[in-house]
Amino acid sequence: MNQAIPEIEEINRPFNSVTDKPIIVKDLSKQFGDQLVVDRVSFEVSPGTVFGFIGPSGSGKTTTLRMLTGIYHPTSGEVKVFGHAPVNFPRRERERIGYMPQNFVLYPELSVWENLNFAAMIYGVGFGRSKRMKELLEFVELLDHRNKRVRNISGGMQRRLSLATTLTHRPDLLFLDEPTTGLDPILRKKLWDYFHNLKDNGTTIFVTTQTVSDAALCDLVGLMVEGRLVAVDTPEGLRRRALGGEVIVLSSNDRIEYQHVQQLTQLPFVKRADRSGENKVHITVEDAATAIPELMEWSTNIGMNVESIRQFLPDFDDVFVMLIHKESENAEI
Amino acid sequence: MPKSNLGFIRFIIRTSAFIGKEMTEVVRQTPLLLTLILGPFLIMLLFGVGYRNEARPLKTLVVMEEGDPFQKQLEEQVSRGAGLIYEGSTTDRNAAMEKLKNRIVDVVVVIPPNALQTIQNSEQVVVQFFHNEIDPLQENFIEIFGDINIDEVNRQIVTTYAEQGQENASTMEQKLAETRTQVQTTRQLLQAGDALAAQGEQQKLSGDIDALSFLVGGSLGLMNGPDGQTAENNPTGESATGDSENQGITEALARLQQSNQEMGSIQEGKANYDEELAKLDQMDRDLTDLETALQGFQSIEPNVLVAPFRSEAIGLQGNELEPVDFFTPAVIVLLLQHLAVTFSALAIVREQRSGSIELFRISPLSSFETLLGKYLSYLIFATVLGAVITATVVLVLNVPMLGSWMNYAIVLLTLLFTALGFGFLISLLAKTEMQAVQYAMLLLLGSVFFSGFFLDLRNLWEPVRVVSYLLPATYAIQLLQDIMLRGISIDPLMFIGLLSMGILMFIVAWNLLYRRLQQEWD
Repeated sequence: MNQAIPEIEEINRPFNSVTDKPIIVKDLSKQFGDQLVVDRVSFEVSPGTVFGFIGPSGSGKTTTLRMLTGIYHPTSGEVKVFGHAPVNFPRRERERIGYMPQNFVLYPELSVWENLNFAAMIYGVGFGRSKRMKELLEFVELLDHRNKRVRNISGGMQRRLSLATTLTHRPDLLFLDEPTTGLDPILRKKLWDYFHNLKDNGTTIFVTTQTVSDAALCDLVGLMVEGRLVAVDTPEGLRRRALGGEVIVLSSNDRIEYQHVQQLTQLPFVKRADRSGENKVHITVEDAATAIPELMEWSTNIGMNVESIRQFLPDFDDVFVMLIHKESENAEI
Repeated sequence: MPKSNLGFIRFIIRTSAFIGKEMTEVVRQTPLLLTLILGPFLIMLLFGVGYRNEARPLKTLVVMEEGDPFQKQLEEQVSRGAGLIYEGSTTDRNAAMEKLKNRIVDVVVVIPPNALQTIQNSEQVVVQFFHNEIDPLQENFIEIFGDINIDEVNRQIVTTYAEQGQENASTMEQKLAETRTQVQTTRQLLQAGDALAAQGEQQKLSGDIDALSFLVGGSLGLMNGPDGQTAENNPTGESATGDSENQGITEALARLQQSNQEMGSIQEGKANYDEELAKLDQMDRDLTDLETALQGFQSIEPNVLVAPFRSEAIGLQGNELEPVDFFTPAVIVLLLQHLAVTFSALAIVREQRSGSIELFRISPLSSFETLLGKYLSYLIFATVLGAVITATVVLVLNVPMLGSWMNYAIVLLTLLFTALGFGFLISLLAKTEMQAVQYAMLLLLGSVFFSGFFLDLRNLWEPVRVVSYLLPATYAIQLLQDIMLRGISIDPLMFIGLLSMGILMFIVAWNLLYRRLQQEWD
């Protein structure tokens, strides 16, 4: 893996739209026939952030993204990208957008280099584009494969090429529809590093994904369930929502009695306490950092021989499953 | 750099993005190239090399009865006829028909019995040509084949009569010399005043003139022969053959008879015989005229006498064109039109099916740039193919090029521009590649039937001819035929028709693409 990340030009283009937020979505709905695919979704994306749109397959992520790019027209609600409705994007705004669709839509009979060149040219990138193209191919590790026809390269390589074509014109706003699907973990990590690099230089990234671990790398995550945006928060915020707070796991060398659990629930900073086995208890608190010293003190006071006390950080997969279940339960109620 | 210049440069870059991409894509699809280019090209080459401009000789069997010499004569003449392979004769009509049914022979000619008697009864003999063809063109061919052969038989018969007439003319010449001698003798006796002897000679002279009239009349009758019957149906009352010679002979003979009658019988004891001598002089001159006319009659070839006229068709372009020459401009047009339509018909529908047009929609590409880029790429590609095809037909098939190469190039480019417009229209209307190919094939089929490729447009019912003028091939075929085979310049009306259609197609395709890029997708 080559660690050299292409130098990103300083983005010094004034954003003169009505609002500073490049993406504003209000009560956006989309219906195909009788089926409501996106249901009154609202969110905003600030400049220079990575906004992850996560949810199970068929939850409406791609439909929302397509409304943001103008491919679909909203049934109701409002979308503004750079202050314009995407269906009427002026050319100037189009030049600032990069779009990577979910499926590979380039030309199998053309080589890697020819595809990239075509993508650069349709964005009007000038004749000095070769350097930029080489950088991008080097970054996505396709420089050695540049003369291969695309139909002869793997699916993962095609995804990388697709990403490279999105970046040739140095866009201000990137729409990426599941960009990491089919990539190995190392390349995925590299890609996220690159996204953060872009973000640091002011690029706004709107990325859909089914890969929960990707969500942890976003600044903000929107969770879509059955067409509804059930949560928009930071990854940590979502974890907190899933668990109802922060969870501390207290393990004792002795048996933890039921009365100890009762005592714990009486503590003012404890929201909930659940025994897990004979000598372990899960304690939900508002803030784990402040609660842990107080719990240590409490255990000393009652003479509990504590083996360990630590914050429980569940896998994001579990967090999202929890959130989705919660949402489903709420919907049923 | 000023913004407007930058904008223009970007316009050029975006538009030219398609040139390399489209051409590379097409060139790399070898099976597509083979199917779309080499296939039609080989078909054209095979057509050019394999087409023979000769009527198929027909295997001909004659049915006749035995022992009829006139029938035998007819059979011999039929057997020597043009465009046939003589398979012999038979008296078994059923067996002959069975052979025809089984397609062992192509034509069975039935010569009726007693043909001579039928003619003597002033009736035409009907010779039947039976065939087993279902193709109307082949049926027409056999009808013409029958007419030509029977005309030849008729001509042979009439020629025989004319030859006999000419042979009789030598007998007439002897009689003519005797009659002239008789006139001279009568004249000398009258001048000598021997009216009695002159009277005797005059009677002999009248006999000679009657004999001469009989001979001349008979010869003319023979010469006219059965063909003379046509004179009955001829408003001018003249025979169709050797008319001027016949008329001269008839008039000279009539004057001779008249002079003889007017002279009357020579009377004895008259004071002078000036009147009779003058008549004899007149008769001498009439005999000279008759002699001259008969000599003229004898000097004419019998086949000229029976068929004094023949036709000869001469083309204005001054050289004789082969069918391959005639069809080549149309084949070039159809080939290039089909190639251009097929390429462009797949162009947008393929982008749509693959989803790449989604990228165009989000990119700064305009519908105009997209369309123009694709037009240019296919125009360059099809022009190269057109040049290769043209070089092949001119250098390999030796098809003449009588006009200007510049005009040729202008028409070819305009045709390609228009055909591409049709293709892009198809591409924007079709939902799948299969549908696009089907529409392209429909256009080709329509062009084959309605563009004047093998059917003359003048043979089409006028309202249907409107369809012809909705096809670019109709205009281009006529324009290229004019340039290549007539050597004339571009017909402005036809050229404007073709170009207008191309411009209209571009505008419509542009509009449709614009709408397509604006509208919501499935």
